[in-house]
Amino acid sequence: MSPWNHPSYLVAAVARRGATDLIAVSTAMGRGVARSQEQSRWLPEDRRPTDYFDIGLLAELGRIRKGITSFPVGARHSLVYPFEERLARGEVEVEVIGQGSLAERIRSARAGIAAFYTPVGPGTAVADGKEVRYFRGVPHVLETALHADFALVRAQRADRRGNLWFRGARTFNETMAGAATVTIAEVDEIVPLGELGPDQIHVPGVYVQRVVERPRAPATDWRALR
Amino acid sequence: MVLPEGREILLHSELGVLGYGPVVTDPDEADPFVTIVGTLPVASPPGIAFMSHDESFAMIRGGYLDVAVLGGMQIDRDGNLANTQLAGKPAGNLGGAPDLAYGAKRTVVLMYHTTSSGEPKILDRCTLPLTAPRCVDRVVTDVAVMDIRHGEIILREVAPGWTPRAVQAITAARLSIPGDVPEIRL
Repeated sequence: MSPWNHPSYLVAAVARRGATDLIAVSTAMGRGVARSQEQSRWLPEDRRPTDYFDIGLLAELGRIRKGITSFPVGARHSLVYPFEERLARGEVEVEVIGQGSLAERIRSARAGIAAFYTPVGPGTAVADGKEVRYFRGVPHVLETALHADFALVRAQRADRRGNLWFRGARTFNETMAGAATVTIAEVDEIVPLGELGPDQIHVPGVYVQRVVERPRAPATDWRALR
Repeated sequence: MVLPEGREILLHSELGVLGYGPVVTDPDEADPFVTIVGTLPVASPPGIAFMSHDESFAMIRGGYLDVAVLGGMQIDRDGNLANTQLAGKPAGNLGGAPDLAYGAKRTVVLMYHTTSSGEPKILDRCTLPLTAPRCVDRVVTDVAVMDIRHGEIILREVAPGWTPRAVQAITAARLSIPGDVPEIRL
């Protein structure tokens, strides 16, 4: 999760629309507006992106009912972000799952796989209440596909067909595309059909239902309209 | 991280990067699209590959990583690893650790030997919730290097100024101490 691979404008739009009671699926539950600048602390302060609005904003605003994530809390005692604050007060629920199983649950949803057995989880709390079955003497836990109503992803380029091209690690942006009823891609640039060649396309457009181009001038406030 | 000269080591980042280079400290040289853990820009040497999260974890779970180096809160003689739940927090962070601990051919835990309040972190049995069962092969702390095999924690090396007895004194599990336990040489 960084300003360069995060669908910030889509998150800000969800915040402005007032959608609430959300179940949010994400690697981590974000830092919120006040501390999102920490994500680009390798840059001098005056060069850090001002338009990074992460999922912590939705937690801060009280719009999230439940998080499904691998990083529900800050990594140190001193790091407490909005989702963790609400979790500590019993205002949100959480389902904690490892990155690998989370990724595979989402991929399965795109791929029409109802459930799968993974060797990661047995012997830990992740397997509680779930079926465990042995294959070649190794316990595997049954995980189910995780389908969403909306997938918000960020890519660098898209064409009007929804074909996506990424720079750098493609992360959950590629994994989540197509694993929801509606996938919306926020991109830096929409290019003419054909400019993304067949051997460049990372996500075929059939997995993407809407494409949104980021504004040229970065916003400084999530409440500002595009 | 110190990499030996003349050896090529492939570094994998769970975000979906294989073959990244050293951390780039000059913000003008850094490529913001090539970061690890989301915040550290790294170099893109020849041969670097990018992928999705699910592909990254297929690679991890499918056994393609030789070594995973993880932090630890507790480890025990059965090689169980707990590095998830911080005291007082309402939940624990799992991250990619369970998959890495399972998938890597060797799991090395790098951690302080005791907590900041002096509690032992190497135990007969972990008391904290487990991140992954029976996965730790080697433990490297600020005072010792140990191997874990068949329910035994074997002391291999001690830090300069430390003795096997001193290390045992801050370890809450009986260590197997071979005849020769040399000092760590960097």
